[in-house]
Amino acid sequence: MNWGVRAVSIVAAVGFCFLIQTVSLGFGADIQRLIALAGLYVTLAVSLNLINGITGQFSIGHAAFYMIGAYTTGYLSIQFLKNSGMPGPVWLLLMMLAGAIMASLAGLVVGLPSLRLKGDYLAIVTLGFGEIVRIIVVNSPFDVSFFGVFKFFTFPNLGGAYALDKIPAIRELWLIWLLAVVCIAVCRNLLKTAHGLAFLSVREDEVASLAMGVNVTRIKVTAFMIGSAFAGAAGALLAHYETSILPSTFAMDVSFIILTMVVLGGTGSITGSALAAITLFALPEVLRRNKEPVTGGTFLAIVIGVIAAVVLIRWFQNEYHGSKNKKTAGYFASVAASAIVAFGLTFALNAIPALHDKAFEGSKLRMVIFAGSLIIVMLIRPEGVFAHHEFSWTWLKKVLRIKPKSEALAT
Amino acid sequence: MSAVLSLKGATIRFGGLVAVNDVTFDIEKGDLFGLIGPNGAGKTTCFNLITGVYRPTSGEIFFNEKLINGLAPNRICAMGIARTFQNIRLFQALTVLENVVIGGFLRHKASLASALAYLPPAITETSRLEREAMDLLEVLDLADVAQTRSADLPYGKQRRLEIARAMATQPELLLLDEPAAGMNPNEKEDLAQTVRLIRDQFGKTILLIEHDMKFVMGICEKIVVLDHGEEIAYGPPSAIRNDPKVIEAYLGEAV
Amino acid sequence: MVHQLLPIAAVDFNTLPQQLVLGIGIGAVYALVALGYTMVYGVLKLINFAHAEVFMLGAYTALFTAWYLGFSPQSLQALERESSWLNLLIMLLASMVICAIIGVIIERFAYRPMRSQPRIAILITAIGVSLLLQYGGALFLPVSPPPSIDERVNPYRGAYTITLSRPSDRLLGQKEELERQYQESNVAFEKQLEKEKSRFDLSPQGIALRNAKQEAERALRKVTDEIAASGRELKLPRGQMIMLGATLILMLILRHLVLYTRTGRAMRAASHDFDTASLMGISVDKIVTVTFIIGSALAGAGAMMQATFIGTPLTTFYGVSLGVKAFVAAVLGGIGNIPGAVLGAMVLAIAETLVVWADGSKWKDAIAFVILIAVLLFKPGGLLGSSKVEKV
Repeated sequence: MNWGVRAVSIVAAVGFCFLIQTVSLGFGADIQRLIALAGLYVTLAVSLNLINGITGQFSIGHAAFYMIGAYTTGYLSIQFLKNSGMPGPVWLLLMMLAGAIMASLAGLVVGLPSLRLKGDYLAIVTLGFGEIVRIIVVNSPFDVSFFGVFKFFTFPNLGGAYALDKIPAIRELWLIWLLAVVCIAVCRNLLKTAHGLAFLSVREDEVASLAMGVNVTRIKVTAFMIGSAFAGAAGALLAHYETSILPSTFAMDVSFIILTMVVLGGTGSITGSALAAITLFALPEVLRRNKEPVTGGTFLAIVIGVIAAVVLIRWFQNEYHGSKNKKTAGYFASVAASAIVAFGLTFALNAIPALHDKAFEGSKLRMVIFAGSLIIVMLIRPEGVFAHHEFSWTWLKKVLRIKPKSEALAT
Repeated sequence: MSAVLSLKGATIRFGGLVAVNDVTFDIEKGDLFGLIGPNGAGKTTCFNLITGVYRPTSGEIFFNEKLINGLAPNRICAMGIARTFQNIRLFQALTVLENVVIGGFLRHKASLASALAYLPPAITETSRLEREAMDLLEVLDLADVAQTRSADLPYGKQRRLEIARAMATQPELLLLDEPAAGMNPNEKEDLAQTVRLIRDQFGKTILLIEHDMKFVMGICEKIVVLDHGEEIAYGPPSAIRNDPKVIEAYLGEAV
Repeated sequence: MVHQLLPIAAVDFNTLPQQLVLGIGIGAVYALVALGYTMVYGVLKLINFAHAEVFMLGAYTALFTAWYLGFSPQSLQALERESSWLNLLIMLLASMVICAIIGVIIERFAYRPMRSQPRIAILITAIGVSLLLQYGGALFLPVSPPPSIDERVNPYRGAYTITLSRPSDRLLGQKEELERQYQESNVAFEKQLEKEKSRFDLSPQGIALRNAKQEAERALRKVTDEIAASGRELKLPRGQMIMLGATLILMLILRHLVLYTRTGRAMRAASHDFDTASLMGISVDKIVTVTFIIGSALAGAGAMMQATFIGTPLTTFYGVSLGVKAFVAAVLGGIGNIPGAVLGAMVLAIAETLVVWADGSKWKDAIAFVILIAVLLFKPGGLLGSSKVEKV
């Protein structure tokens, strides 16, 4: 191993985190918050990718671990930070650890059913687990007893259906991004070693892995524990950044959003998960900021354009038997043609008063766009944008070298 | 000499169906042992019993005189029994080399923590396994496709890769489930040589299931014949060839 | 009293039958929705997440139909005539037809192009369709304030009352007497209070009168409780009875379809082995379409009945919680198994009812998941299903 390269990468990574912090200080509080949340989503997506993409255990309840980390540490901070006399960042590190431990214990609990269940059955159990965690928080405080006779203990008040607020604010942007970087590094390291191959083998074929002596049980549980530990640490950071958390912050949709990031990025690809997390997080925020309503005509035109593009691309994929370059050209042509049609339709449709007067706020469209992009990617590229590829310098070189050649052929 | 593997009255029922009924045989060290029978005779089920995929309803299975009934498949593999699959089960998205490295993961000594931090123990262990895997690929004539995705290999090579992957676990006993299925005569001849090589040079004991009678008769020294889950014959190829029960069982198929 | 024997303070066996009646009504809706999950899973091995949204759209269809029939908020003030059973039937059919169409569209344009892809990809598409309908629907459908179907569209309101036991005449007489005593003491006390209006606190006489009043009140309450405990009656809400009846009829039709028609036989074949069925000359596309038509129509029926007879306000998330529960019911009964779905739905609904009855109403939504996880861990095939051995 080249220790020099390694030292440089570590320094660069930490430097990158502080750079983000410094740059974000130049913006207002709301932009800073978005940068923080983007970092958390990168952690969430990459850690779910470890469970879903790399180990192949279909979990759709990742928000539960995020929630466990946030609520555990939020509660601990409210109770103990004042008396501890610790400086903020040190306490926050401690809380990240606490959140990670609690979440990974929960990951253990969810990981155990994964030993007996596969695919969509496991998915529904993780979904159910997420709901149970949420219901527990909403119902807090309550007594834990044996049919009302022996009271064991009282589950602490976590704000019930309302917010758990007055969490001491400790806002360390660099730490948020450092967690994301560490999460990426851990997953990448894993994939570079034989251990990573064992994780992948579980995804590929459980029966064969077992026959090759791989302890499938241990690997599944480990994947769940590591993945949820990162989500728990992210939860700790969220709680201390937001200072007030709600059960609805961690509802089923959040799990679905994280899942979308993993799937769109390309199941198994760390690069894909991280980039998809940033893109998919930024896109709706940009829309939310766009106060100008979208008129019905524009909306309809875009929908028609998207559908046209999907249909055309699928046609080129399945029915057209040209060379690879011609196919690629076809994809670009489909997108361009659909864009032009949509642009033209915008004017035509907005001329109809009923469509022109119906307006949609950008903020209401964000989940629609999310869901739409999920379906579209599944229809035209089910393996995700990056598929199983990872970013690396050699990969980049390969892509750049091939591209000019194909363009030359196409023209 | 004591048996490497011995089945004593192994039986498994699925509901009303008795898939394997009271099968008893011993495999001794260095044997090249054949398990044959018509379709649905329970050969693969027998493999699944030995490798722990199913738990026998009754009867006992000993490996080196240790009872292995009902142990988890990965434990059984760790004890020294490796297998291939009739309906090829490679790790399709992974390369040929990676497939074989996974076979060797059993002997991997670095901790998970060192892998997550990419520390020297994990790095050296990984490269050691990769070297060992390459050596095996050389032996099985797959070295030139080491970096190919295993799903992209031609059929015959996929079968070889299954054997390489099983060999990577460094088993004492190797179970081959129809290794010659779908191969042309030349490939079959190559395979027969490879199987002998594995036995003679690597000193493995081999149990194989095969449909191709010529192939089995050509390389196996002892044969068990199953029909409808029952053991109908047991002996050297010459005896099996002339056994009336075997001929009867095969009549529909092999005329 | 029973609840003095048991430590569970709120458990009252007298209210149990009533709760169970309500539970079975809810179970009917769960069953109708669970059938859609189970049938689609049986044929395509897909958890159709969008099924819950089909249910939601069915409820909206019922709402719009009711509006069209003259039960819209604008026309209600002017509404004079009573509704009739025909209105209910029109709403039911409208919901079923529209849901069937939506189900077929979803299958045709979202699931069919994905059929050759790995199952996980189809599952994610299903999640995408579900989210799209939830959030996309909110752009076009009335959601705030959440509309609900006016109960006057249902001509069969109220409940049939079955008297299980009557309180004794002695108790009733006692109650009358005590009521009189209470009134007297109350009047006396009020009079005294009026007299002492200017005083800062009550005089000893006033206190005596107040105590007498409180004493009478206590005695009266005790007898009232006793009467309530001994006089048990069962209320059968007429709407829920219709729900049960309609569900039963739909199940019988379904049973006939699946067991005795060519299509039904093909459907069972496809659910047993999709690939082989297609090799045997069964048009699997047609079978899948029929499956979606039936499943979605049943969800539409359930949606119409829930929205009309139970009357919860509608949002585009109307189907979410019910959808998850119906899915749990399907798994509980053994997914892919039609009678199993009905059984699972009833078991789940009754379990929820029992939790509410045992004063755990805030845990009602958790019980479904607890049951789900327990079933999957201990009997993954479900109550009526068989767990298959994976072929190696």
